[in-house]
Amino acid sequence: MLLFVALISFLIFRFVGNPVENLMGQEATLAQRAALEEALGLNDPIHIQYFDFLWKAVRFDFGNSYRGALPVAELIVSRLPATLELALTSAVFAVIFGVFMGVYTAINRGSVITNFILSSSLIGVSLPTFLIGVLLIWLFSVELNWLPSFGRGEVVDLGWWKTGFLSESGLKSLVLPAITLGLYQMTLIMRLTRSEMLEVLRQDYIRLARALGLTNKAVYFFHALPNILIPVITIGGLQLGSVIAFAIITETVFQWPGVGLLFINAVYFVDIPVMSAYLLLVGFAFVLINLIVDLSYFFIDPRLRDSELKDEA
Amino acid sequence: MERFFRSDFFYHFRHAPVAIVSFVTIILIILAAIFANFIAPTNPFDPASLNLMNGFTPPLEANEFTGERFLLGTDDQGRDLFSTILYGLRISLFVGLMAVLLAMVMGVLLGLIAGFLGGWIDSVIMRFADIQMTFPSILVAMLIYGVARGILPPEVRYEMSIVVLIISIGLSEWVPFARTVRGSTLVEKEKEYVTAAKMIGLTRQQIMLRHILPNVLSPVLVIATITFALAIIAEATLSFLGVGVPSTKPSLGTLIRIGQDFLFSGEWWILLFPAVTLLALALSINLFGDWLRDILNPKLK
Amino acid sequence: MIEPLLEIKNLSVSLKKRDNISVAVDDLSLNLYPGEILGLVGESGAGKSMTGSAILGLIEPPLYISAGTISLQGSSIMEAPETIRGSQISMIFQDPLVSLNPLKTIGEQLIKTIKTHFNISKAEALERSKKLLSDVGIEPERIDAYPHTFSGGMRQRVVIALALAPEPSVIIADEPTTALDVSVQAQILNLLKQLCTERGTSIILITHDMGVISETTDRVAVLYSGRLVEIGKTSDVLQRPQHPYTAGLVASTPNIDPNSFEKKLFQIPGAMPDIDDVPDGCAFHPRCEHARDKCHTHRPPLFDARVSCWLLEKPGGTL
Repeated sequence: MLLFVALISFLIFRFVGNPVENLMGQEATLAQRAALEEALGLNDPIHIQYFDFLWKAVRFDFGNSYRGALPVAELIVSRLPATLELALTSAVFAVIFGVFMGVYTAINRGSVITNFILSSSLIGVSLPTFLIGVLLIWLFSVELNWLPSFGRGEVVDLGWWKTGFLSESGLKSLVLPAITLGLYQMTLIMRLTRSEMLEVLRQDYIRLARALGLTNKAVYFFHALPNILIPVITIGGLQLGSVIAFAIITETVFQWPGVGLLFINAVYFVDIPVMSAYLLLVGFAFVLINLIVDLSYFFIDPRLRDSELKDEA
Repeated sequence: MERFFRSDFFYHFRHAPVAIVSFVTIILIILAAIFANFIAPTNPFDPASLNLMNGFTPPLEANEFTGERFLLGTDDQGRDLFSTILYGLRISLFVGLMAVLLAMVMGVLLGLIAGFLGGWIDSVIMRFADIQMTFPSILVAMLIYGVARGILPPEVRYEMSIVVLIISIGLSEWVPFARTVRGSTLVEKEKEYVTAAKMIGLTRQQIMLRHILPNVLSPVLVIATITFALAIIAEATLSFLGVGVPSTKPSLGTLIRIGQDFLFSGEWWILLFPAVTLLALALSINLFGDWLRDILNPKLK
Repeated sequence: MIEPLLEIKNLSVSLKKRDNISVAVDDLSLNLYPGEILGLVGESGAGKSMTGSAILGLIEPPLYISAGTISLQGSSIMEAPETIRGSQISMIFQDPLVSLNPLKTIGEQLIKTIKTHFNISKAEALERSKKLLSDVGIEPERIDAYPHTFSGGMRQRVVIALALAPEPSVIIADEPTTALDVSVQAQILNLLKQLCTERGTSIILITHDMGVISETTDRVAVLYSGRLVEIGKTSDVLQRPQHPYTAGLVASTPNIDPNSFEKKLFQIPGAMPDIDDVPDGCAFHPRCEHARDKCHTHRPPLFDARVSCWLLEKPGGTL
């Protein structure tokens, strides 16, 4: 999977836009061009170029950005903390509220609050992320003037990581973007939690638990909740991946200095090395998340643990 | 027709107020977009009709210089917002529709081929679909958009931007169609009538298109409805990010981006009206699609 | 006369769909006496399981109890069924493979159940759980095992242990052996019977299997289309069925008899009606070879506290 993504990103890197033209400009002579093509290895067989690309990617060498001629890796590393902090905060927000509201609406079917949550969730899915962001800015920054509408606020430099978690303005700046980014995932997680919960509550072991006189609390939290964790973690994990992608939109709305903003500018100015490096990065993030999701199954489900042990024996 | 009105489908429709309201909203919005020339007081794409002096007129109030009044106010360039929204809707709906058509044709064909032929073709198509599905479609659309702009020479980028946009969104949404059609095809091709068609010597293309295709279309309709909403949102998002349609021909997303710039200076109407229109459109299509899915195939959830 | 332990009077369970209401359990009256095993028999859809769920107040929309009373030891349990669940009446379901929470050890599930009903320490609850496991024939050492490591029969033993844990006076067993291998069925039934006899617990055994009825129950109630058609001592009902439907059921039960291999098994013609399409009069009349005019229009009452059929109207009338 990662190799495939790398291939796409290589093809974009190699064939879209002309690196020679971009590096040398229009005035270069044919001889100069040929020399550069040779130096860049553009005359090697294609699979050699691919391996070369991979090998460089492993060492975080993605070449230089067309604009500003900075190394792409350096650009990305400087932007990454902002995006990761934003993504993490909104994912935590989405999971906590999503699961809580999903469980609540499944247990209290037909109540006024449930119907309210469900109908607003439909609006939530239909609202594009950018519109949520703009509306939040309007309400909380323009009208109420409570929270900042752009940037990260003051960041504290930890040497290898610039964090916005440690200053008041940093935390304040985080609120609106995190909600914007998390709201869509939250509605998805909520709807999923709700439908899984309703499904689990139909199971025979729940009926048995009720017939044995277990309290509602025990039925919901002892029996039902652990059983919805697997699907919720699976989808939640995949959603975390799309959080990274939706961060592009949120970062643009809030001028959040993360990799998403870097990417959208790259698309705008056709900065191919940045685009291809970003693609690789996202691909890598997805693979990593899938791995974590798979591993978490083993902590939750004893059936999987056992079947795996048997396989090894 | 009479059969339609007595059908179960129609019974459910009459008893679902949400479905009726959302359906009527969709129809009204589409009609408004089609007949924009007749409804709109001005043509916002015609520079000659614009008067910069009219800029930033609040809704229903008279402009301080020209004294003109506008139902929903004007934007920074003095364009009547009501007219601009109607024309913007046209672009949004057009891009959305074309993108869905592209995604549908591509997805249905690939799904049919994968399901009917099986073997390595099936593996290649579905593997590719799986990988694409891991990435959110908006990211895929942006990437295709960026690549397309890279391939096109700079001179034509501007004129081609709508076509590029349609292709980007279309290519990013084909997977659900392909998956569903492949699934139904796998079921259908085991049935008697396909065997019979093979026996009388029809070619594979004939069987796929004339016999299997009509039988897998009902879920495709549901997906098309939901994808339509997604495509409109995707178009608005890309235009909002500034990588969509050019701002001389603004779609709803472009208008919202322009509106955001003027939020802090108090010109709220430039943002609000396009935003409400977009929300109404996306919400109605989603609600209608949800209802359609529940009625046509309860298992599709 | 002995007072009934559990008394069901004129119970109806209805189903609301679109604008129609159909009746799934129709005017059912039953008594359960202390220590007895009462069988509920009938085809699937006859309302047996629904009756069981109704007793525990586990009926969920669109189904609802539309009429009748259920009382335990003379006092109604319909207002607060949750107070008697487990402690007074507990239940065993058909499929042991899905009756246990897959993510919890059997010990955790037993302890949770015990601690819900008794105010005792965790150590004591653990001791009781081990005792229960050994009572149902499972080594107490396996208390920390997960359900998936047990076979179907073993899991049903765990379920029985769970049902007995709150020390109820009634157990409703809903097709407890249907999902099990034939060789295991008898073991489970005997175990259930033995444990309940020891504890003086009554059983309502829901099944469609006449063989199970004849081997296990003291009395049997036959349901058809949500209605009680015949009730009585198991030996009476099986040997001298009064209702044509009961007679058909008995005749259509395979009998392992070396002399009857040549015989063809009896079939009741037709099928039970859907609950939204129950015919007027006696629900069984379209399939009944003895049906008279009255059967088409009038619903028969229960004659002699035994059988609901117009053939029994005149004193002394029989099949």
